[in-house]
Amino acid sequence: MSEIISQAGLRALVAEWSGAGKQAAGPVRIKPDLVLYSALGSPDELLLEGFVRPANSIKEFIFPKQERLYGYRIQGNNVELLENDAPPEQVVVAARPCDAAALPILDRVFNWDFQDEFYNRRRAATTVVTLACNRFDESCFCTSVGLNPASERGSDVMLFDLGNSNYEVRCLTEKGSALFSGKTEKSDQTARPGKSPEKKFDPQTVRAFVTEHFEDPFWTEHALTCLGCGACAFTCPTCHCFDIVDAGPAAGNARVRTWDSCQFAMFTAHASGHNPRGAQPSRQRQRILHKFAIYPEKFGEILCTGCGNCTRNCPEGIGVLSVATEIKHG
Amino acid sequence: MSETNRFEPKIVAYVCNWCTYLGADLAGTTRLEYPPNVRIIRLPCTGRIDFNLIIKGFEIGADAVLVSGCHPGDCHYTAGNYHARRRWILFRELLDTLGFDLRRIHFTWISAAEGKKWQQVITELTEETRQLGPYTDLYTNGTGKDLPMGAPALFETKTLAAEPALRERCRKLLAEGTVKVVIGYGARGPVMVRRPEDADRLVWNNRCVSNLTSYLKRKEVKALGKPAVVVKPCDEKSLVVLEKESQLERKDIHVIGMACEGVGEPKCTFCTARTPRFADETLGEPVGPEALASPPPNRFATLMALTPAERMAFWTKQFDRCVKCYACRQVCPMCYCERCIVDKNRPIAIDPAPSVKGNFAWQIARAFHLVGRCVGCGECSRACPAGIDLALLNIALHKAAQEHFGYDPGVDPAAEPVIGSYTLQDKEDFIR
Repeated sequence: MSEIISQAGLRALVAEWSGAGKQAAGPVRIKPDLVLYSALGSPDELLLEGFVRPANSIKEFIFPKQERLYGYRIQGNNVELLENDAPPEQVVVAARPCDAAALPILDRVFNWDFQDEFYNRRRAATTVVTLACNRFDESCFCTSVGLNPASERGSDVMLFDLGNSNYEVRCLTEKGSALFSGKTEKSDQTARPGKSPEKKFDPQTVRAFVTEHFEDPFWTEHALTCLGCGACAFTCPTCHCFDIVDAGPAAGNARVRTWDSCQFAMFTAHASGHNPRGAQPSRQRQRILHKFAIYPEKFGEILCTGCGNCTRNCPEGIGVLSVATEIKHG
Repeated sequence: MSETNRFEPKIVAYVCNWCTYLGADLAGTTRLEYPPNVRIIRLPCTGRIDFNLIIKGFEIGADAVLVSGCHPGDCHYTAGNYHARRRWILFRELLDTLGFDLRRIHFTWISAAEGKKWQQVITELTEETRQLGPYTDLYTNGTGKDLPMGAPALFETKTLAAEPALRERCRKLLAEGTVKVVIGYGARGPVMVRRPEDADRLVWNNRCVSNLTSYLKRKEVKALGKPAVVVKPCDEKSLVVLEKESQLERKDIHVIGMACEGVGEPKCTFCTARTPRFADETLGEPVGPEALASPPPNRFATLMALTPAERMAFWTKQFDRCVKCYACRQVCPMCYCERCIVDKNRPIAIDPAPSVKGNFAWQIARAFHLVGRCVGCGECSRACPAGIDLALLNIALHKAAQEHFGYDPGVDPAAEPVIGSYTLQDKEDFIR
């Protein structure tokens, strides 16, 4: 026996959450060829089928692209700090397993030597309802990094498309049950596992290569076509580097955290003018090294969920996948 | 409304040191009264007034902005005001495309002897702005409509006839040592081929969309030695501009032009360039543009048919998606500054956060730095992971340069660049 919910029932539920003051977000078709996770203006905007995955990731609901850390007011010689309001309760609906799996990975770095209250508060206020994948494209490689199209990691609820506008519902946490209890029906339909993308590389091989070949012509060769934008890092579910800037009066007197990317030349620029990563090959290497060697060394798991966003969003078709497969073949 | 609550407009005036500032000074010393709503910022010359300052003025709450300098012919530095005039003509078009309220942006010539004119202009501006009310439409929340985009063009990868010839030619160039590297298209994206035996990695098909001239500026690529670059007729224009701007020596680059029938991008549906004009050699036979079953909607015309407030709402919604990955800048062959204005942080020139203000300021800076330089390759729109149609801004400025100055970047290598030159006849019907 299983629990199921109809598509109409799911949309009604989204409306109910919004009505109860929760912010709902999920895949929305922005343009004919672009789907992004966005705040849902209405439950009808929620896109449940007909695409591989959104071009961005759900990290932005927990680790926003720009986040006010605190505001300040200056009066004479007094500086008054203004705290933020508590973040809103939110539900991310129809997240992909590769997005949900990124959250437990990010939890570690945001609670390592310092507990990041801004991250933690949003994380606690967020419920992730994941929709298992039933299609993939040539950029997908979740199976190569130990996940699969139905991975439960990081999700509070799993939904499985039964193909007849019904979804099987499996609640995994209390947060998830609280959203769905009493809203589902009993059924004898259960989801059959869908097809998975083939395994394309072994992360251990990549790790071994990057640790042993810090200086290697491979990096120069591979980075030649990289133009040095941050499209890969900013659409990656796991990339989490940030910068902190003081926004002056024009931006409302606040200290703001913004995303940053190791692919930018400014990322490691020193005040002296020296830049230890002065050229693109060393920046490309850093991204792969961080994902496959530095992070595992520190936290015991790789910093990649195989979503393929880096490859899909790269204007020139480079990404973790192309590097990892070239390492294997090279 | 009671007298005490009356709206008092804030006007920021950027004035030149030699004429208007002295004019304003004269107004003061001759006891001419004018409303106290204007904040004067003195700068050396209108020719050096950065367009970002106009934006900054609005960001910090100005209800109107005035830029004022010497009358034509009076510039202390000979021609600063002529350059300024030309820049304003174009900048106004960009602001109009973005939906700024042009009734709040004023330009005037006021000489050191015209204390009276200063008094009159400020009195008029204050009254006009008071009538308009506070500038609340600036960066309104993104509730804008999207433009009709048409359905995505689905197409199969189709290898084009010139592919074998391209491979053969590149193999020869590398084997003979004419070039050290071929910058071309591979199966998954651009490739740099350095050995003759790798020439088969090159492809020529309808997915060859990137403008490969962007790679010519990269120091890792320069370090490889003399390149051959594969260009389509549309990309070729960027070489003309780069050469004009002393960014490359044409003799140091071997250009392989591809006769093109359009690759897989929407831009190809209205591009008419079919044959490269300046290439060292051209491969393939050009094919005339095929008639489209349903031509894509003219997005620019649709945008400009909206009211300014609707345009601003549209752009606010678009820019709300911007994550500041700077893919638009990185793919652009014309963005070659060693340090971009957004990377300048001592002091910060443009809010680096992907806030609405920061995103507007960044896109204004990007688009305006490309005025008269953008060749319309459309790479910015293609690269944007948030699907923002950035090329619309470039189209606006391209159109403006064409209409006002008959200038088309990258077409005529002998033409004088639109920015950096001026004529005494440049229009000034918008200057008080």
